[in-house]
Amino acid sequence: MNSVHNVNFFIKLTFAFAIMAIAWLLPDWRSSVPLAAATVALLAIFRVPGIRTYFKGAALLVLLVTASWIANLMIQGETLVAAVETALAMAARLVTTTAVFFFVMETSTPGSILAASSAARLPPIATLVLSLTFGVIPMLRHDFERIADAQRARGMEIDDVSFPMRLRFALARGVPLLIQAVRMAHAISLSLSIYGFDLSRKRTTWREVGLLVEHRLPGIETS
Amino acid sequence: MLALKDITVSHGEEPVLAGANLNLSAGERLLVCGAAGSAKSTLLNVAAGLIPRLVTPSHFAGEVTLSGEPLSTMSKDTLFAEIGLVMQSVEEQSWDLGVEDLIAFPMENRSMPKAEIRKRVDALLKQFQLDALRGRRVLTLSGGERRMVAIAAAMALSPRLLILDEPTTGLDPAARQRLTAALGDTLDSNSAVLVAEQDPAAFHGVARTVRFISEGQVSEARGFGTLVNEERLWREAGILPPRRTASRPKASAPGAEILGVRDVTTILCRAHGQPVLNGAGFMVRAGEVLGLIGRNGAGKTTLFQSILGLARISRGTITIEGIDATGWTVARRARRIAYLPQNMRRILFNMTLAEEVLFAITAGADPGEPDRNRAQACLEKYGLGGLSETNPFALSVRQQALLGLACADVAGAAVAILDEPLLGRDLNGRAMLDLFIRSMTDKGRAVLLISHDLELVEEVATRTLILADGRVAFDGDSSEAWQSAAFRALGWPAPSFTPDGLVA
Repeated sequence: MNSVHNVNFFIKLTFAFAIMAIAWLLPDWRSSVPLAAATVALLAIFRVPGIRTYFKGAALLVLLVTASWIANLMIQGETLVAAVETALAMAARLVTTTAVFFFVMETSTPGSILAASSAARLPPIATLVLSLTFGVIPMLRHDFERIADAQRARGMEIDDVSFPMRLRFALARGVPLLIQAVRMAHAISLSLSIYGFDLSRKRTTWREVGLLVEHRLPGIETS
Repeated sequence: MLALKDITVSHGEEPVLAGANLNLSAGERLLVCGAAGSAKSTLLNVAAGLIPRLVTPSHFAGEVTLSGEPLSTMSKDTLFAEIGLVMQSVEEQSWDLGVEDLIAFPMENRSMPKAEIRKRVDALLKQFQLDALRGRRVLTLSGGERRMVAIAAAMALSPRLLILDEPTTGLDPAARQRLTAALGDTLDSNSAVLVAEQDPAAFHGVARTVRFISEGQVSEARGFGTLVNEERLWREAGILPPRRTASRPKASAPGAEILGVRDVTTILCRAHGQPVLNGAGFMVRAGEVLGLIGRNGAGKTTLFQSILGLARISRGTITIEGIDATGWTVARRARRIAYLPQNMRRILFNMTLAEEVLFAITAGADPGEPDRNRAQACLEKYGLGGLSETNPFALSVRQQALLGLACADVAGAAVAILDEPLLGRDLNGRAMLDLFIRSMTDKGRAVLLISHDLELVEEVATRTLILADGRVAFDGDSSEAWQSAAFRALGWPAPSFTPDGLVA
């Protein structure tokens, strides 16, 4: 694990909001596109898990946003050049925004978010909401990939087929994913109950929390 | 300490527990044994206060008290501090936390000071020999490793009552010994242990009393020592006796090679940089039943993933029915190699049992009437004919395992890989497993059985492989495996049957 991944969740979140704000304040594509490129490059440099999936999603996002905005703006009478510039700026802002929050989500485990929130003495409800909001999305993404692997491991050809067919198979994973999401919610709820999570009591944490959040407990010497 | 009085529980129309009674004294270690589907888990969930508090059945009657206080009047916080619970399916009580997070979770939630939590977590990691798992995420662990972490978490608050549902599932023999030693060391005369198991031998040194459960009733407690030799009672309860004679397979001459794994090295590496599989090689021939054993985390899962193409390899070849499978998609390999994980939920995704079996036949293509008839016949073969329109996720773990066998059988795959099947200790389940193995081998197909249940391997496998340090350290006749240097290196007790003694 890259040490950048261990940065305190709230620091990551603050940076993410700051970069997103900058992206939306930049005036045009000349500055938006380089910022988006730099943000995406940082994902690769920091070896963020699931980056290939993100790149595919981002490429699709750029394609759809650019095409729809160009068409829309040209219908409203803009020139092609002006429409392309506006569409590129919009796509770049969206890529920057999704990239920074992808970084926060993929590098922050539910445990590290719980630890950062507990160390900050946040109310338990805030701790829970933050952990689940940012922690569950990667879990669902893993489940989506696991279901795909299950389909492959059962003999369903989802790789050596056309793109529309792949898209159809991906959509078909929605129902089992929904079932899995319900099961996950049940497991989390049960876990919170039997391990004593209480909304009226602030938690503590085993981790050392500062600018970084401790990743593993070192062995303690006993005399 | 614990008293269950006239407990009746129904999940549908018929009660699964019908006026069951059970008492547990302080200092007692009680083993509850019964066939799969005999409501062991329901009984334990009632004893733990999960039913009806958190899981509501269609009908519940009776009373449960802990030290005279009804569980229904205890606060949830007090209840789950007094009772530590590990469910049969650990996935149902854990989520994507780190190993230390899960063990620390009950203490953090009760606002214990950091230094105290760190000390306790460290002590439990050392006691259960889980140091190598520090910093790992629970969902990335093997099934056995995950279970040990969950047991450590259940013991974190030193509960007065520890309830473990099938705790040895997925544990290698060394881990079982660590578990029973930890139970013996940690629990004092003020605490009690309630364990449900299909493999009673593992708890011979720990549990003092045994109760059987069948037809919704719990029997009187009997001393473990006096019960051990009473084979009939165990069989009446629907499970294999802890002391019995082995029924070894008739070894017939194997046919041609149908799966070849040669010098396979994975890209996936361990924390210290060594590939998980490092030059692993073996072959499977038609009509064979291979047993594959190895420590928890030895790379058994990675091995089947490599065979199926789900884990990338940097070196070596996989051949299927004599053809180099390099370049084959996972799906193409899977049509010849059927895989059944321990947790079947991982590979189920259709809406009914009939659709699951049809999928095994058609691999997603539109089915015809003959396919539907084959699917129904196969479900009936494995005792699931009446459940064809049921959602697979509504089945019990045992029924899901049977569904897996039905799918693998009907798919016509050349090799079936069974990863720790949960059917080995239950008489009915074992009969189905034997039926599946016969069905495969009679047609010139083969079975690769991955298991920590050495008695099962001894009884069904014609050849045994031992996986250690990323490679196959022993490949030979099962009867010779237990004398091999590779097996001695594991430090496990060899399986033994009467007249030699209790099975390991």
